[in-house]
Amino acid sequence: MWDQVGQALNQSMNRMLSQMASLLPGVVALIAALLVSTLVAWVLAAILRRSLTSIDFDRRVAQWGFSALAEWSPSKSPTRLVTRAVAWTAMLIGFLIGISAFDVALTSQFVIRLFAYLPNVLAAVVVLAAGSIVAGFLARSVLIGAVNMNLQYARLLSAGVKWLVTVLAVAMALEHLSIGGGIIRLAFGILFGGIVLALALAVGLGSKELVSRSLDREASKTSSQNMQEPVGHL
Amino acid sequence: MDAVSQPELERIERAGGADLVVGILDPEPDDQAGATIPMVRAALAELSVELNRTARVVVLCNNGTHGPAAPAPDADRLQPAAPDGDGQSLTVFSYSLPAPGPAETPQPKVSHAYRSVLAVGRKLGVRACGVIASQRRAVTPQWIYRLVQPALELGFDLVAPRYTRHKLEGLLNKSVLSPLHRALYGEQLQNPMGPDFGLSGKLLQRAMGQDSGPSRGAENDPVASLAPMAVCGGLRVCESHLGVRTQPPTDWMNLSSLLAAVLGPVFLEMERQAACWQGIRGSNPVPGFGSPEIAPEDTGTMDVHRMVESFQLGDQNLQDVWGLILPPTTLLELRKLSRLPLDQFRMPDDLWARIVYDFALGHRLRTISRDHLLRSITPLYLGWIASYALEVETAGPAEIEARIERLSRAYEDGKRYLVSRWRWPDRFNP
Repeated sequence: MWDQVGQALNQSMNRMLSQMASLLPGVVALIAALLVSTLVAWVLAAILRRSLTSIDFDRRVAQWGFSALAEWSPSKSPTRLVTRAVAWTAMLIGFLIGISAFDVALTSQFVIRLFAYLPNVLAAVVVLAAGSIVAGFLARSVLIGAVNMNLQYARLLSAGVKWLVTVLAVAMALEHLSIGGGIIRLAFGILFGGIVLALALAVGLGSKELVSRSLDREASKTSSQNMQEPVGHL
Repeated sequence: MDAVSQPELERIERAGGADLVVGILDPEPDDQAGATIPMVRAALAELSVELNRTARVVVLCNNGTHGPAAPAPDADRLQPAAPDGDGQSLTVFSYSLPAPGPAETPQPKVSHAYRSVLAVGRKLGVRACGVIASQRRAVTPQWIYRLVQPALELGFDLVAPRYTRHKLEGLLNKSVLSPLHRALYGEQLQNPMGPDFGLSGKLLQRAMGQDSGPSRGAENDPVASLAPMAVCGGLRVCESHLGVRTQPPTDWMNLSSLLAAVLGPVFLEMERQAACWQGIRGSNPVPGFGSPEIAPEDTGTMDVHRMVESFQLGDQNLQDVWGLILPPTTLLELRKLSRLPLDQFRMPDDLWARIVYDFALGHRLRTISRDHLLRSITPLYLGWIASYALEVETAGPAEIEARIERLSRAYEDGKRYLVSRWRWPDRFNP
């Protein structure tokens, strides 16, 4: 009986070893592809980093109005963000090439699905980028306008506008990615509606007197200044 | 700009052409507008006597009282009235400028009206042009005479106004426009942006030639470009004392819009004339005509505390925005300034000059949206006003004059900083 058990174990071991041996070329190919892609990614990142640093990319990004990009970047450096994105993309491509060494049919299906999903990803990225730019622009407009109107809570207003637009952009991006589906829509509706309702209630009921006193004070300040101050600008 | 119909031009040509165009651009046309033509006639009667010949004048008003009302679809056309002659000395053709669009803000309204007047002058090939854009109730016939006479008879190309003012009037002129013009273009003008000007035919042709030429981006604002154009074109500039100028009360809620509307064209003009002003060093006074009037006594007080509060609020909240425009040393100085008690609140002249230069540079480089940039200067401007008001609280005219002179010298001293940053914005950033 022990002989039969030993034989069965041997056969199992042989099968396992032969399967492992059949996988080995694929694993070696995957490792090789990963190594090569890592090397390519490193070279690409180095070239890109040097080029972007030489044109002072970080400052130019802020000048072009994409200052929000710096906030989302590692070490607040858009150069690092771009170089890392390129490096990871190169490594991902290397990984896909390496995977294709295992099973052609499986890989091709995977790649087809990946490419079918790509437009959604691109649309989501565009929506997020546009949302970020619009949020930054509106937040700055509100901040400057509120400071010029002497509102003490200018920064709060600006942050509120920024987060409202950002939440809207994120919800739209998730919709494009088909993540969350109904939950996202529902959560966004509740959140957005809740914020608007809270503001309306605060201004309409809770802060009615405060707001009217504040407006009265501003109006009286302005009119009294106009009457008393012999100030002209031009 | 096709402001005058061909038949009207031919009619004026048949009458012997025109020597002069006078534009009366009252920012607030009122019931007294009908008195405009008699006022112009009174001013020009003296002029035609000195000319010793028949003078023909085209008068353009924006109050709609001369000639029939402009029909809406043809809003650019000037409506004619019958020539109004008084025998041998003076012939006046009066026209009404079309009403501005309801959406136009005061500054673009003035620019648009200016362009219409200059376009008529150019088409008629007049020898001189006078434009009054101040409030009509302050204007006397002497104003027109003093603006036009140096251009018509003394060979000057631009006659800028010099007003008698309270110490707290014309603050944007005192703090930015006049010292900036002096430092950049080397001519000491009290009001480089008028708004009342006298122009020679030569300057008028140049102004409209540039206006109709290929433009780079924004349209020229004639009010902002006349004085720099005259200096950079090697033309002769002078000043005339006009007297006391009245202004509508300050609209504090729209101060940022006013700053954006005034400083935007000035910074654009700086960009256009960069090659000219970078080579100019120092400054000189320009010839002056007339004698200054004595300013009436100051009345009322200024709420300096509220302005300092606005400045402090800006310093607390706009650091991110200012940080994109101003260098770190300036931000540090502003931070220190915002912590000073009210009685010690003083904005150093060199700091203010550098702030204005940095905003001009930021405008050129489009560091941030230009509208954001121009509006974000408001708390800083209020800080300067507060500092100035505290300094001149008990000062007399001579002390105020000296105070403004010190500020102008600070602008001149800071010009090297501007030129360095203008030429090498990336390298030179202390």
